[in-house]
Amino acid sequence: MSIVSNSTGAFYERSLSQLSDLRGSLEGLQNQISTGVRISRGSEDPAAASRLRTLARTERLADVQEDNADKLARDLEEASGEAQGVANLLARARELAILAANDPTGESGRAAIAEELVQLEEELFDRANAATLTGEPLFAGTAAGPAFVREADGTVTYNGNTDIASVPVAPGTELERGITGAQLFQFDQGGTTSSAFAVLSNLSAALQPGSVDPAAAAKAALDGLDAAIDNTTRNQTVLGTRLAWVEVIQDNQQNRALTVAEQRSDLGDTDLGEAVARLQQTQAALEASQLSFARLANLTLFDAL
Amino acid sequence: MPGPLFQIARSGAAASRASLELVAQNIANASNPDYSRRTLEVRELVGLSFGSRDVLNGVRIEGISRASTEIVQQQARTSAAELARADAELQGLRDTELALEQSRLFEGLVEFEAVFTQLEGNPLEPALRTNALETARQLASTIRFADTTLGTARTQVQDAVSVSLNEANLQAAEIARINQNLSFTRPGTSGEASLLDARDAALRNLSELVGVTATFDERGAASVRLADASGGPGALLVDGFSSNAIGSSTNADGTVSFDVGGVGVAPVRGALAGQAAALEAQADFQTQLDTIADEVITRSNAAQATGSDQDGNPGQALFTGASASDIALNLTSGRQLATAPLGSPAGSTNTTNLAAFTASFGADDGPIARTDALLLGLSSRIAAQDVTRTGLAAIAQNAEATLLTETGVDLDTEAANLIRLQQAFEANGRVLQVAAEVFDTLLAIR
Repeated sequence: MSIVSNSTGAFYERSLSQLSDLRGSLEGLQNQISTGVRISRGSEDPAAASRLRTLARTERLADVQEDNADKLARDLEEASGEAQGVANLLARARELAILAANDPTGESGRAAIAEELVQLEEELFDRANAATLTGEPLFAGTAAGPAFVREADGTVTYNGNTDIASVPVAPGTELERGITGAQLFQFDQGGTTSSAFAVLSNLSAALQPGSVDPAAAAKAALDGLDAAIDNTTRNQTVLGTRLAWVEVIQDNQQNRALTVAEQRSDLGDTDLGEAVARLQQTQAALEASQLSFARLANLTLFDAL
Repeated sequence: MPGPLFQIARSGAAASRASLELVAQNIANASNPDYSRRTLEVRELVGLSFGSRDVLNGVRIEGISRASTEIVQQQARTSAAELARADAELQGLRDTELALEQSRLFEGLVEFEAVFTQLEGNPLEPALRTNALETARQLASTIRFADTTLGTARTQVQDAVSVSLNEANLQAAEIARINQNLSFTRPGTSGEASLLDARDAALRNLSELVGVTATFDERGAASVRLADASGGPGALLVDGFSSNAIGSSTNADGTVSFDVGGVGVAPVRGALAGQAAALEAQADFQTQLDTIADEVITRSNAAQATGSDQDGNPGQALFTGASASDIALNLTSGRQLATAPLGSPAGSTNTTNLAAFTASFGADDGPIARTDALLLGLSSRIAAQDVTRTGLAAIAQNAEATLLTETGVDLDTEAANLIRLQQAFEANGRVLQVAAEVFDTLLAIR
């Protein structure tokens, strides 16, 4: 006699494992809801976890790049302010040169002009050695020292270098920090390199009392001043354009930060609506299983004996 | 003649009662997983006949038969052993994952990259330099921590291996002892059935620890061999009354090798196989971790060597050490970070060297990418193993259910048997009564 038996032990075993599966997935959902995190361990979704790591790195680097861009914008604003000052100063020097070129301006008038030009040259020297908020020279390239030094004979020479450090402000994008003093203050005049300092000090020297034909010298100096002003304006444009670029990059950074945050949330955060709905569904299934298990377990022939 | 009638009824009542006792025994053991259902074997008893008359003598108890099926049992053992292997390997891998994720190695590397990128924006700022140096110190300690936690995870698995091994050897010795007892026991007795239960339980325990194949002789004594990958006969663990112990030795990379009587063996199933696989995976991850540490050290020191520090001196090594266990910070001041190219004067804001370093550190073959690959490899492996485990669990459950159907106790069947046997007992009693009446009738004849 062969009986297909339904082992009581097997029934309990099966029911138990089904119930504990349901309870396990309920606990997983509860954990997702209470922590707000969908993936608590990488193995739950390896690809998403790796993507999340990349995004976390992008986010951290973007933070730093935003800092860098802010600092760069400040430096560029500072440099641009100084360049504006230089431009104003050179414009005033040009007015003075025109005044000195006029014959009616007498010797004493020229002496006063020469005095003012000396002052202007001093101011120019100060501006050329301006420092950033953190104390580094604005116009020395990557060199440490003062950008310009005054030699014993009074001439001003460039002490910095022609390197410009770049700052990483976005993935794959590096922006130059500013312009060198050589670019801003030195220019080519008739094939030779001259500087704003040389033009100003030459002019003021030519206007000293006792000079031969100061009016002609003043006229001649106008060319140099024009070249200096042109050069300054050009560099102002460069700084302005770069500043505008930084602003565009800062806008992009903010947009990217939003996108990255959104992606992170999509990948790694619990979708509360879905999780709660699934929690309820699983809960209903668990309750139904418990009920039917209790009924089935009660169903035994021994009750009929 | 009422004599045989008494005899028949008596034997019938005795058989019914013995069967009832077995039913009670079955019910009592309904929840005992090692118990196999028993039934009473009975046979008609016919006396020798002289002449034309049959002599009926009722029923004779042959013995206790125990439900057993070798094929289903072997299947259940094999699938349980496969499941145990997957479980043990998964457990080891999960511990590894926890160790590496908890050490926050990836976050440490990203932070390191970030502070050096920030330094590019403002290379001479003392606060940023100090921050960069401290982050480097933190990174070195994070890497050492990852190394320690990985080591702890490895020790746990190694401990589990020695526990499993002891237990497996105990079970093998137990089977040899049962073999011996079986040879002393009369077949068909409940003593034999209970020994066979114990034999099957020990075999199941053993195969969950290390995959085995078993063959049985006519008395039920088991000869147990280690399951072999090639399908051939594996090393002999239990032969007759004696058992051979499995030995193990730990290799330099933390993996274990097994042997039986000095001959190397490789378990293919069971917890030991899974633990050995987990140890191999951990050795692989340890190598990867050491490579990451080495990359951090090499790339940082190479960058320092091509640069000048804030005071214009050639850069010194940033880290000392060569692996995850001995990486340590070498510099003492933020000023010593070589941000400018070699030969730059003191106070240079040139960040070319620093830029080259951050680019090299964040490159696709750099330590950050390697760490991501390590974590991705580990978690993918766990996810895949988890899928395998789910499949194996379903198979094992199915095999277990099939086995229980063959050998387990069904309370409904036992209840029906209870009624049937009770009626049989009562019917035999009725026969006794009839025999007595027949006897009385004969006596009453005058």
